[in-house]
Amino acid sequence: MIEAKGVFLTYGDGTEALKDVNLKIEAGEIVYVTGPSGSGKTSLLKLIMGIEYPTEGYLKVMGQNMVREEASNIRRLRRRMGPVFQEFKLIRGRTALENVVLGMRFLGFPPKMIREEAKTALERVGLGHKAYSLVEKLSWGESQRVAIARAIARKPALILADEPTGNLDLKNALNILEILTSLRDERTSVIITTHATHLIEDVEEGKFVRVDNGIIQVERRGVLAI
Amino acid sequence: MRSTIYNIGYFLKEAKTIFKVDLLSNIFSILSIGLIFFILALVISGWGISNYVIGIIEKEAEINVYFREDMRDPDIIELIKEIESIEGIGKAVFVSQEEAYNRMVEILGSEAAILELFDENPFSPFIEVQIHIEEVDSILEELEKIEEVEHIRDNKRVIDRLQNIVFILKIIGLLAVVAVGISTLVVISHIIRQGIYNNREQINTLELLGAPEFFIGFPFFLEGLFLTIMGGLIASLLLVITIRYGYSQMGIALTFIPLPSKDILTNNMVIFIMASSGVLGAVGSLFGLMSSR
Repeated sequence: MIEAKGVFLTYGDGTEALKDVNLKIEAGEIVYVTGPSGSGKTSLLKLIMGIEYPTEGYLKVMGQNMVREEASNIRRLRRRMGPVFQEFKLIRGRTALENVVLGMRFLGFPPKMIREEAKTALERVGLGHKAYSLVEKLSWGESQRVAIARAIARKPALILADEPTGNLDLKNALNILEILTSLRDERTSVIITTHATHLIEDVEEGKFVRVDNGIIQVERRGVLAI
Repeated sequence: MRSTIYNIGYFLKEAKTIFKVDLLSNIFSILSIGLIFFILALVISGWGISNYVIGIIEKEAEINVYFREDMRDPDIIELIKEIESIEGIGKAVFVSQEEAYNRMVEILGSEAAILELFDENPFSPFIEVQIHIEEVDSILEELEKIEEVEHIRDNKRVIDRLQNIVFILKIIGLLAVVAVGISTLVVISHIIRQGIYNNREQINTLELLGAPEFFIGFPFFLEGLFLTIMGGLIASLLLVITIRYGYSQMGIALTFIPLPSKDILTNNMVIFIMASSGVLGAVGSLFGLMSSR
Protein backbone atom coordinates (compact mmCIF):
# COMPACT_ATOMS: atom_id res chain seq x y z
CA MET A 1 0.00 0.00 0.00
CA ILE A 2 2.79 2.47 0.93
CA GLU A 3 6.41 2.12 -0.01
CA ALA A 4 9.11 4.68 0.83
CA LYS A 5 12.77 4.26 -0.15
CA GLY A 6 15.39 6.76 0.91
CA VAL A 7 12.83 9.56 1.23
CA PHE A 8 14.00 12.98 2.34
CA LEU A 9 11.79 16.01 2.94
CA THR A 10 13.42 19.41 3.23
CA TYR A 11 11.21 22.49 3.49
CA GLY A 12 11.88 25.71 1.63
CA ASP A 13 13.48 27.32 4.68
CA GLY A 14 16.04 24.50 4.81
CA THR A 15 14.45 22.53 7.66
CA GLU A 16 15.09 18.82 7.19
CA ALA A 17 11.78 17.30 8.29
CA LEU A 18 12.47 13.71 7.25
CA LYS A 19 15.76 11.97 6.53
CA ASP A 20 16.23 8.73 4.63
CA VAL A 21 12.81 7.24 5.36
CA ASN A 22 12.50 3.58 4.40
CA LEU A 23 9.07 2.18 5.16
CA LYS A 24 6.62 -0.38 3.84
CA ILE A 25 2.99 -0.52 4.94
CA GLU A 26 0.78 -3.34 3.70
CA ALA A 27 -2.98 -3.26 3.17
CA GLY A 28 -4.83 -3.97 6.41
CA GLU A 29 -1.98 -2.87 8.69
CA ILE A 30 -2.35 -0.57 11.64
CA VAL A 31 0.56 1.78 12.15
CA TYR A 32 1.25 3.99 15.14
CA VAL A 33 3.62 6.87 14.40
CA THR A 34 5.06 8.30 17.59
CA GLY A 35 7.57 10.96 18.49
CA PRO A 36 7.81 14.33 20.19
CA SER A 37 6.20 17.43 18.73
CA GLY A 38 8.09 18.67 15.67
CA SER A 39 9.81 15.31 15.15
CA GLY A 40 8.36 14.82 11.63
CA LYS A 41 5.16 12.79 12.24
CA THR A 42 2.86 15.25 10.52
CA SER A 43 5.41 15.68 7.72
CA LEU A 44 5.22 11.94 7.09
CA LEU A 45 1.41 12.14 6.79
CA LYS A 46 1.74 15.17 4.53
CA LEU A 47 3.94 13.14 2.20
CA ILE A 48 1.47 10.27 2.16
CA MET A 49 -1.41 12.66 1.37
CA GLY A 50 0.52 14.49 -1.31
CA ILE A 51 0.46 17.81 0.55
CA GLU A 52 4.25 17.77 0.37
CA TYR A 53 6.46 15.90 -2.07
CA PRO A 54 9.75 14.10 -1.32
CA THR A 55 12.76 16.27 -2.08
CA GLU A 56 14.72 13.08 -2.58
CA GLY A 57 13.92 9.37 -2.76
CA TYR A 58 10.97 7.32 -3.91
CA LEU A 59 7.47 7.21 -2.44
CA LYS A 60 4.56 5.22 -3.78
CA VAL A 61 1.09 5.33 -2.19
CA MET A 62 -1.58 2.90 -3.40
CA GLY A 63 0.29 2.54 -6.68
CA GLN A 64 0.68 6.31 -7.17
CA ASN A 65 4.11 7.88 -7.49
CA MET A 66 4.13 10.85 -5.16
CA VAL A 67 5.74 13.50 -7.34
CA ARG A 68 4.58 17.07 -8.02
CA GLU A 69 3.99 16.30 -11.69
CA GLU A 70 1.24 13.87 -10.74
CA ALA A 71 -0.78 16.46 -8.77
CA SER A 72 -4.07 15.77 -10.58
CA ASN A 73 -3.77 12.01 -9.92
CA ILE A 74 -2.90 12.71 -6.31
CA ARG A 75 -6.20 14.59 -5.89
CA ARG A 76 -7.92 11.43 -7.15
CA LEU A 77 -5.80 9.35 -4.77
CA ARG A 78 -7.02 11.41 -1.82
CA ARG A 79 -10.56 10.26 -2.57
CA ARG A 80 -9.43 6.80 -1.43
CA MET A 81 -8.19 8.18 1.88
CA GLY A 82 -9.99 9.06 5.10
CA PRO A 83 -8.00 11.83 6.73
CA VAL A 84 -8.63 12.92 10.32
CA PHE A 85 -6.85 16.24 10.69
CA GLN A 86 -5.24 17.46 13.88
CA GLU A 87 -7.39 20.61 13.75
CA PHE A 88 -10.40 18.58 12.42
CA LYS A 89 -11.01 20.87 9.41
CA LEU A 90 -14.77 20.70 9.85
CA ILE A 91 -16.79 23.22 7.88
CA ARG A 92 -18.39 25.80 10.11
CA GLY A 93 -22.02 26.75 9.70
CA ARG A 94 -22.87 23.16 8.77
CA THR A 95 -24.26 20.36 10.93
CA ALA A 96 -22.28 17.27 11.82
CA LEU A 97 -24.29 15.29 9.27
CA GLU A 98 -23.72 17.88 6.53
CA ASN A 99 -19.97 17.74 7.19
CA VAL A 100 -19.93 13.97 6.81
CA VAL A 101 -22.14 14.10 3.70
CA LEU A 102 -19.93 16.80 2.15
CA GLY A 103 -16.91 14.51 2.35
CA MET A 104 -18.80 11.88 0.35
CA ARG A 105 -20.57 13.92 -2.34
CA PHE A 106 -17.85 13.62 -4.98
CA LEU A 107 -16.86 10.00 -4.35
CA GLY A 108 -19.39 8.42 -6.68
CA PHE A 109 -21.59 6.84 -4.01
CA PRO A 110 -25.20 6.28 -5.10
CA PRO A 111 -27.05 9.45 -3.98
CA LYS A 112 -29.64 7.49 -1.98
CA MET A 113 -26.89 5.83 0.03
CA ILE A 114 -24.91 8.93 1.02
CA ARG A 115 -27.15 10.21 3.81
CA GLU A 116 -27.73 6.77 5.27
CA GLU A 117 -24.01 5.96 5.31
CA ALA A 118 -23.24 9.34 6.89
CA LYS A 119 -25.77 8.70 9.67
CA THR A 120 -24.38 5.20 10.25
CA ALA A 121 -20.85 6.63 10.53
CA LEU A 122 -21.99 9.20 13.10
CA GLU A 123 -23.74 6.47 15.09
CA ARG A 124 -20.59 4.36 14.96
CA VAL A 125 -18.64 7.13 16.70
CA GLY A 126 -21.49 7.62 19.18
CA LEU A 127 -22.75 10.90 17.74
CA GLY A 128 -26.02 9.83 16.12
CA HIS A 129 -27.89 12.15 18.47
CA LYS A 130 -25.75 15.14 17.43
CA ALA A 131 -26.22 14.66 13.67
CA TYR A 132 -28.17 17.88 13.31
CA SER A 133 -26.01 19.99 15.63
CA LEU A 134 -23.87 22.73 14.13
CA VAL A 135 -20.22 21.73 14.42
CA GLU A 136 -19.27 24.95 16.21
CA LYS A 137 -21.63 23.93 19.01
CA LEU A 138 -19.82 20.62 19.58
CA SER A 139 -17.13 19.97 22.17
CA TRP A 140 -13.50 19.22 21.22
CA GLY A 141 -14.02 15.47 21.61
CA GLU A 142 -17.29 15.52 19.67
CA SER A 143 -15.69 17.49 16.84
CA GLN A 144 -12.89 14.94 16.75
CA ARG A 145 -15.46 12.17 16.40
CA VAL A 146 -17.29 14.00 13.58
CA ALA A 147 -13.96 14.19 11.76
CA ILE A 148 -13.53 10.44 12.28
CA ALA A 149 -17.10 9.81 11.09
CA ARG A 150 -16.33 11.80 7.95
CA ALA A 151 -13.28 9.63 7.36
CA ILE A 152 -15.12 6.34 7.98
CA ALA A 153 -18.14 7.22 5.83
CA ARG A 154 -15.87 7.62 2.80
CA LYS A 155 -15.07 3.88 3.02
CA PRO A 156 -11.40 4.59 2.41
CA ALA A 157 -8.57 2.18 1.80
CA LEU A 158 -6.34 4.24 4.08
CA ILE A 159 -7.26 6.15 7.23
CA LEU A 160 -4.78 8.81 8.34
CA ALA A 161 -5.31 10.27 11.80
CA ASP A 162 -3.00 13.08 12.86
CA GLU A 163 -2.80 13.43 16.67
CA PRO A 164 -6.41 12.35 17.13
CA THR A 165 -6.00 12.17 20.90
CA GLY A 166 -4.46 15.60 21.33
CA ASN A 167 -6.17 17.75 24.01
CA LEU A 168 -8.46 14.91 25.07
CA ASP A 169 -8.67 13.46 28.56
CA LEU A 170 -7.50 9.88 29.02
CA LYS A 171 -10.95 8.32 28.78
CA ASN A 172 -11.89 10.14 25.55
CA ALA A 173 -8.44 9.59 24.09
CA LEU A 174 -8.66 5.83 24.64
CA ASN A 175 -12.17 5.84 23.23
CA ILE A 176 -10.96 7.58 20.04
CA LEU A 177 -8.05 5.15 19.69
CA GLU A 178 -10.42 2.24 20.10
CA ILE A 179 -12.69 3.58 17.36
CA LEU A 180 -9.77 4.12 15.01
CA THR A 181 -8.17 0.72 15.58
CA SER A 182 -11.55 -0.94 15.04
CA LEU A 183 -11.63 0.51 11.50
CA ARG A 184 -8.75 -1.68 10.35
CA ASP A 185 -9.80 -4.63 8.25
CA GLU A 186 -8.34 -6.66 5.39
CA ARG A 187 -8.64 -3.77 2.94
CA THR A 188 -8.33 -0.75 5.20
CA SER A 189 -5.04 0.36 6.68
CA VAL A 190 -4.93 2.84 9.55
CA ILE A 191 -2.07 5.21 10.36
CA ILE A 192 -2.29 7.10 13.65
CA THR A 193 0.23 9.68 14.81
CA THR A 194 0.52 10.56 18.46
CA HIS A 195 3.04 12.09 20.79
CA ALA A 196 1.21 10.50 23.78
CA THR A 197 3.16 7.24 23.82
CA HIS A 198 1.58 6.21 27.13
CA LEU A 199 -1.69 5.70 25.30
CA ILE A 200 -0.25 2.92 23.13
CA GLU A 201 2.11 1.32 25.64
CA ASP A 202 -0.23 -1.60 26.11
CA VAL A 203 -1.12 -2.06 22.46
CA GLU A 204 -0.07 -5.55 21.47
CA GLU A 205 -0.53 -5.53 17.73
CA GLY A 206 0.62 -3.20 14.97
CA LYS A 207 3.59 -1.50 13.43
CA PHE A 208 5.25 1.17 15.55
CA VAL A 209 7.12 3.89 13.77
CA ARG A 210 9.21 6.08 16.01
CA VAL A 211 10.14 9.43 14.47
CA ASP A 212 12.82 11.53 16.06
CA ASN A 213 14.44 14.52 14.45
CA GLY A 214 13.31 13.32 11.02
CA ILE A 215 14.75 9.83 11.37
CA ILE A 216 12.42 6.85 11.71
CA GLN A 217 12.75 3.50 13.44
CA VAL A 218 10.21 0.74 12.84
CA GLU A 219 9.16 -1.88 15.37
CA ARG A 220 6.52 -4.53 15.01
CA ARG A 221 4.49 -5.97 17.84
CA GLY A 222 2.38 -9.12 17.76
CA VAL A 223 0.88 -10.75 14.70
CA LEU A 224 -1.93 -8.85 13.15
CA ALA A 225 -5.13 -10.85 13.03
CA ILE A 226 -6.81 -9.69 9.86
CA MET B 1 -23.85 12.90 -14.28
CA ARG B 2 -26.12 11.40 -11.62
CA SER B 3 -23.75 12.75 -9.00
CA THR B 4 -23.84 16.23 -10.59
CA ILE B 5 -27.65 16.25 -10.56
CA TYR B 6 -27.59 15.06 -6.94
CA ASN B 7 -25.23 17.89 -6.09
CA ILE B 8 -27.23 20.68 -7.79
CA GLY B 9 -29.06 21.44 -4.55
CA TYR B 10 -25.73 21.56 -2.75
CA PHE B 11 -24.19 23.88 -5.37
CA LEU B 12 -27.13 26.29 -5.13
CA LYS B 13 -27.06 26.21 -1.33
CA GLU B 14 -23.30 26.81 -1.35
CA ALA B 15 -23.66 29.71 -3.79
CA LYS B 16 -26.28 31.20 -1.45
CA THR B 17 -23.97 30.75 1.54
CA ILE B 18 -21.03 32.36 -0.30
CA PHE B 19 -23.32 35.26 -1.24
CA LYS B 20 -24.46 35.70 2.37
CA VAL B 21 -20.92 35.58 3.79
CA ASP B 22 -20.17 38.94 2.14
CA LEU B 23 -23.74 40.18 1.81
CA LEU B 24 -23.26 43.96 1.81
CA SER B 25 -20.34 43.87 -0.60
CA ASN B 26 -22.31 41.58 -2.93
CA ILE B 27 -25.36 43.85 -2.86
CA PHE B 28 -23.15 46.80 -3.85
CA SER B 29 -21.60 44.66 -6.55
CA ILE B 30 -25.05 43.89 -7.97
CA LEU B 31 -25.89 47.60 -7.98
CA SER B 32 -22.56 48.46 -9.64
CA ILE B 33 -23.05 45.80 -12.29
CA GLY B 34 -26.63 47.00 -12.78
CA LEU B 35 -25.44 50.57 -13.34
CA ILE B 36 -22.66 49.46 -15.69
CA PHE B 37 -25.18 47.51 -17.78
CA PHE B 38 -27.62 50.42 -17.64
CA ILE B 39 -25.00 52.80 -19.04
CA LEU B 40 -24.16 50.27 -21.73
CA ALA B 41 -27.85 49.87 -22.54
CA LEU B 42 -28.28 53.65 -22.80
CA VAL B 43 -25.32 53.98 -25.17
CA ILE B 44 -26.54 51.10 -27.31
CA SER B 45 -30.12 52.36 -27.30
CA GLY B 46 -28.87 55.81 -28.34
CA TRP B 47 -26.76 54.18 -31.00
CA GLY B 48 -29.72 52.11 -32.21
CA ILE B 49 -32.06 55.11 -32.32
CA SER B 50 -29.45 57.26 -34.12
CA ASN B 51 -28.80 54.49 -36.63
CA TYR B 52 -32.51 54.16 -37.24
CA VAL B 53 -32.97 57.91 -37.76
CA ILE B 54 -29.88 58.19 -39.95
CA GLY B 55 -31.04 55.15 -41.90
CA ILE B 56 -34.27 56.93 -42.70
CA ILE B 57 -32.41 60.13 -43.58
CA GLU B 58 -30.04 58.10 -45.75
CA LYS B 59 -32.96 56.56 -47.59
CA GLU B 60 -34.19 60.05 -48.32
CA ALA B 61 -30.80 61.35 -49.45
CA GLU B 62 -31.06 63.25 -52.67
CA ILE B 63 -28.88 64.95 -55.22
CA ASN B 64 -29.96 67.36 -57.94
CA VAL B 65 -28.79 66.85 -61.50
CA TYR B 66 -28.82 69.90 -63.83
CA PHE B 67 -28.78 69.27 -67.53
CA ARG B 68 -28.22 71.27 -70.73
CA GLU B 69 -30.96 73.88 -71.15
CA ASP B 70 -31.48 73.08 -74.84
CA MET B 71 -32.71 69.56 -74.08
CA ARG B 72 -36.22 68.70 -75.22
CA ASP B 73 -38.74 66.63 -73.23
CA PRO B 74 -38.08 63.26 -74.94
CA ASP B 75 -34.34 63.74 -74.33
CA ILE B 76 -35.01 64.56 -70.68
CA ILE B 77 -37.09 61.37 -70.31
CA GLU B 78 -34.21 59.39 -71.84
CA LEU B 79 -31.76 61.06 -69.46
CA ILE B 80 -33.95 60.15 -66.45
CA LYS B 81 -34.00 56.52 -67.60
CA GLU B 82 -30.23 56.54 -67.99
CA ILE B 83 -29.78 58.02 -64.51
CA GLU B 84 -32.15 55.46 -62.96
CA SER B 85 -30.12 52.63 -64.46
CA ILE B 86 -27.06 53.63 -62.40
CA GLU B 87 -26.42 51.37 -59.43
CA GLY B 88 -27.28 52.94 -56.07
CA ILE B 89 -29.96 55.22 -57.46
CA GLY B 90 -33.52 54.72 -56.25
CA LYS B 91 -35.71 57.11 -58.16
CA ALA B 92 -35.19 60.08 -60.48
CA VAL B 93 -37.91 62.76 -60.85
CA PHE B 94 -38.04 65.75 -63.16
CA VAL B 95 -38.53 69.11 -61.40
CA SER B 96 -39.65 71.87 -63.72
CA GLN B 97 -38.52 75.48 -63.55
CA GLU B 98 -41.87 76.49 -61.99
CA GLU B 99 -41.77 73.76 -59.38
CA ALA B 100 -38.22 74.72 -58.45
CA TYR B 101 -39.43 78.29 -57.96
CA ASN B 102 -42.40 77.20 -55.86
CA ARG B 103 -40.19 75.03 -53.66
CA MET B 104 -37.94 77.97 -52.93
CA VAL B 105 -40.97 80.11 -52.09
CA GLU B 106 -41.98 77.41 -49.60
CA ILE B 107 -38.47 77.26 -48.10
CA LEU B 108 -38.11 81.03 -47.77
CA GLY B 109 -41.59 81.46 -46.30
CA SER B 110 -42.17 85.07 -45.22
CA GLU B 111 -38.95 86.14 -46.92
CA ALA B 112 -40.06 84.81 -50.31
CA ALA B 113 -40.73 88.40 -51.43
CA ILE B 114 -37.06 88.64 -52.27
CA LEU B 115 -37.75 86.43 -55.32
CA GLU B 116 -40.00 89.16 -56.73
CA LEU B 117 -36.89 91.24 -57.35
CA PHE B 118 -36.09 88.94 -60.29
CA ASP B 119 -37.64 89.81 -63.63
CA GLU B 120 -37.92 86.22 -64.58
CA ASN B 121 -37.71 82.83 -62.85
CA PRO B 122 -34.04 82.50 -61.85
CA PHE B 123 -34.23 78.72 -61.29
CA SER B 124 -33.37 75.99 -63.73
CA PRO B 125 -35.23 72.73 -64.12
CA PHE B 126 -33.39 69.70 -62.72
CA ILE B 127 -33.71 66.01 -62.00
CA GLU B 128 -34.13 65.07 -58.36
CA VAL B 129 -32.33 61.79 -57.70
CA GLN B 130 -32.79 59.61 -54.62
CA ILE B 131 -29.59 57.74 -53.82
CA HIS B 132 -28.15 55.19 -51.40
CA ILE B 133 -25.85 57.37 -49.38
CA GLU B 134 -23.04 54.86 -49.04
CA GLU B 135 -22.68 54.77 -52.84
CA VAL B 136 -22.57 58.52 -53.35
CA ASP B 137 -19.01 58.59 -54.70
CA SER B 138 -19.54 55.99 -57.44
CA ILE B 139 -22.89 57.58 -58.37
CA LEU B 140 -21.28 61.00 -58.82
CA GLU B 141 -18.54 59.44 -60.91
CA GLU B 142 -21.12 57.79 -63.20
CA LEU B 143 -23.26 60.95 -63.48
CA GLU B 144 -20.27 63.06 -64.46
CA LYS B 145 -19.67 60.76 -67.41
CA ILE B 146 -23.07 61.65 -68.93
CA GLU B 147 -22.63 64.34 -71.59
CA GLU B 148 -26.00 66.02 -71.02
CA VAL B 149 -25.28 66.58 -67.35
CA GLU B 150 -23.97 70.07 -66.77
CA HIS B 151 -23.84 70.33 -63.05
CA ILE B 152 -24.59 68.23 -59.97
CA ARG B 153 -25.62 69.65 -56.65
CA ASP B 154 -24.66 66.73 -54.47
CA ASN B 155 -25.05 68.07 -50.92
CA LYS B 156 -21.86 66.10 -50.34
CA ARG B 157 -20.89 68.11 -47.31
CA VAL B 158 -24.18 67.28 -45.60
CA ILE B 159 -23.96 63.65 -46.66
CA ASP B 160 -20.34 63.40 -45.49
CA ARG B 161 -21.29 64.89 -42.14
CA LEU B 162 -24.07 62.36 -41.75
CA GLN B 163 -21.65 59.57 -42.55
CA ASN B 164 -19.19 60.96 -40.00
CA ILE B 165 -21.90 61.05 -37.34
CA VAL B 166 -22.77 57.41 -38.08
CA PHE B 167 -19.10 56.46 -37.90
CA ILE B 168 -18.51 58.29 -34.61
CA LEU B 169 -21.63 56.74 -33.06
CA LYS B 170 -20.48 53.31 -34.14
CA ILE B 171 -17.04 53.87 -32.58
CA ILE B 172 -18.59 55.21 -29.35
CA GLY B 173 -20.95 52.25 -29.19
CA LEU B 174 -18.12 49.80 -29.79
CA LEU B 175 -15.91 51.45 -27.17
CA ALA B 176 -18.80 51.42 -24.69
CA VAL B 177 -19.40 47.71 -25.29
CA VAL B 178 -15.68 46.93 -24.86
CA ALA B 179 -15.36 49.15 -21.75
CA VAL B 180 -18.45 47.70 -20.10
CA GLY B 181 -17.41 44.17 -21.03
CA ILE B 182 -13.98 44.60 -19.47
CA SER B 183 -15.37 46.40 -16.38
CA THR B 184 -17.89 43.63 -15.80
CA LEU B 185 -15.25 40.94 -16.21
CA VAL B 186 -12.94 42.71 -13.76
CA VAL B 187 -15.71 43.30 -11.19
CA ILE B 188 -17.00 39.73 -11.41
CA SER B 189 -13.60 38.07 -11.32
CA HIS B 190 -12.66 40.25 -8.34
CA ILE B 191 -15.85 39.24 -6.51
CA ILE B 192 -15.16 35.57 -7.22
CA ARG B 193 -11.58 35.92 -5.97
CA GLN B 194 -12.89 37.64 -2.85
CA GLY B 195 -15.40 34.82 -2.32
CA ILE B 196 -12.65 32.24 -2.74
CA TYR B 197 -10.48 34.11 -0.24
CA ASN B 198 -13.33 34.28 2.29
CA ASN B 199 -13.93 30.55 1.91
CA ARG B 200 -10.30 29.49 1.66
CA GLU B 201 -10.46 27.17 4.68
CA GLN B 202 -13.41 25.25 3.28
CA ILE B 203 -11.77 25.06 -0.14
CA ASN B 204 -8.56 23.82 1.43
CA THR B 205 -10.46 21.10 3.32
CA LEU B 206 -12.27 19.98 0.19
CA GLU B 207 -8.97 19.84 -1.70
CA LEU B 208 -7.47 17.68 1.04
CA LEU B 209 -10.47 15.39 0.81
CA GLY B 210 -9.82 15.07 -2.93
CA ALA B 211 -12.81 17.06 -4.22
CA PRO B 212 -12.58 17.73 -7.97
CA GLU B 213 -11.96 21.31 -9.09
CA PHE B 214 -15.42 21.41 -10.66
CA PHE B 215 -17.05 20.48 -7.35
CA ILE B 216 -15.17 23.20 -5.48
CA GLY B 217 -15.48 25.90 -8.12
CA PHE B 218 -19.03 25.49 -9.40
CA PRO B 219 -20.76 27.29 -6.46
CA PHE B 220 -18.48 30.31 -7.07
CA PHE B 221 -19.35 30.18 -10.76
CA LEU B 222 -23.06 30.18 -9.85
CA GLU B 223 -22.54 33.12 -7.50
CA GLY B 224 -20.88 35.16 -10.27
CA LEU B 225 -23.67 34.28 -12.66
CA PHE B 226 -26.30 35.23 -10.08
CA LEU B 227 -24.65 38.62 -9.43
CA THR B 228 -24.50 39.59 -13.10
CA ILE B 229 -28.00 38.34 -13.87
CA MET B 230 -29.36 40.35 -10.94
CA GLY B 231 -27.36 43.34 -12.23
CA GLY B 232 -28.83 42.71 -15.69
CA LEU B 233 -32.37 42.68 -14.26
CA ILE B 234 -31.80 46.00 -12.48
CA ALA B 235 -30.38 47.50 -15.69
CA SER B 236 -33.36 46.19 -17.69
CA LEU B 237 -35.81 47.69 -15.23
CA LEU B 238 -34.07 51.09 -15.30
CA LEU B 239 -33.92 50.96 -19.08
CA VAL B 240 -37.63 50.18 -19.48
CA ILE B 241 -38.48 53.16 -17.24
CA THR B 242 -36.02 55.43 -19.11
CA ILE B 243 -37.27 54.44 -22.57
CA ARG B 244 -40.90 54.98 -21.55
CA TYR B 245 -40.10 58.39 -20.08
CA GLY B 246 -37.78 59.34 -22.95
CA TYR B 247 -40.30 58.42 -25.65
CA SER B 248 -43.09 60.33 -23.93
CA GLN B 249 -40.84 63.41 -23.76
CA MET B 250 -39.49 63.08 -27.32
CA GLY B 251 -42.99 62.44 -28.65
CA ILE B 252 -43.94 65.91 -27.42
CA ALA B 253 -40.74 67.81 -28.22
CA LEU B 254 -39.50 66.15 -31.44
CA THR B 255 -42.59 64.93 -33.23
CA PHE B 256 -40.93 65.26 -36.64
CA ILE B 257 -38.13 62.78 -35.80
CA PRO B 258 -39.04 59.23 -36.80
CA LEU B 259 -38.23 56.94 -33.84
CA PRO B 260 -38.08 53.14 -33.88
CA SER B 261 -40.92 51.22 -32.23
CA LYS B 262 -40.71 51.56 -28.44
CA ASP B 263 -41.73 47.94 -27.81
CA ILE B 264 -39.25 46.51 -30.30
CA LEU B 265 -36.44 48.67 -28.89
CA THR B 266 -37.31 47.71 -25.29
CA ASN B 267 -37.58 43.98 -26.05
CA ASN B 268 -34.34 43.91 -28.05
CA MET B 269 -32.44 45.80 -25.36
CA VAL B 270 -33.74 43.63 -22.51
CA ILE B 271 -32.80 40.47 -24.42
CA PHE B 272 -29.37 41.97 -25.15
CA ILE B 273 -28.76 43.00 -21.51
CA MET B 274 -29.83 39.64 -20.09
CA ALA B 275 -27.81 37.66 -22.65
CA SER B 276 -24.74 39.88 -22.05
CA SER B 277 -25.08 39.59 -18.28
CA GLY B 278 -25.23 35.80 -18.55
CA VAL B 279 -22.24 35.56 -20.88
CA LEU B 280 -20.13 38.13 -19.01
CA GLY B 281 -21.07 36.56 -15.67
CA ALA B 282 -19.97 33.13 -16.88
CA VAL B 283 -16.72 34.40 -18.42
CA GLY B 284 -15.93 36.67 -15.44
CA SER B 285 -16.52 33.80 -13.01
CA LEU B 286 -14.23 31.53 -15.00
CA PHE B 287 -11.53 34.24 -15.02
CA GLY B 288 -11.92 34.66 -11.26
CA LEU B 289 -11.64 30.92 -10.67
CA MET B 290 -8.65 30.51 -12.96
CA SER B 291 -6.78 33.47 -11.49
CA SER B 292 -7.33 32.15 -7.95
CA ARG B 293 -5.61 28.84 -8.60
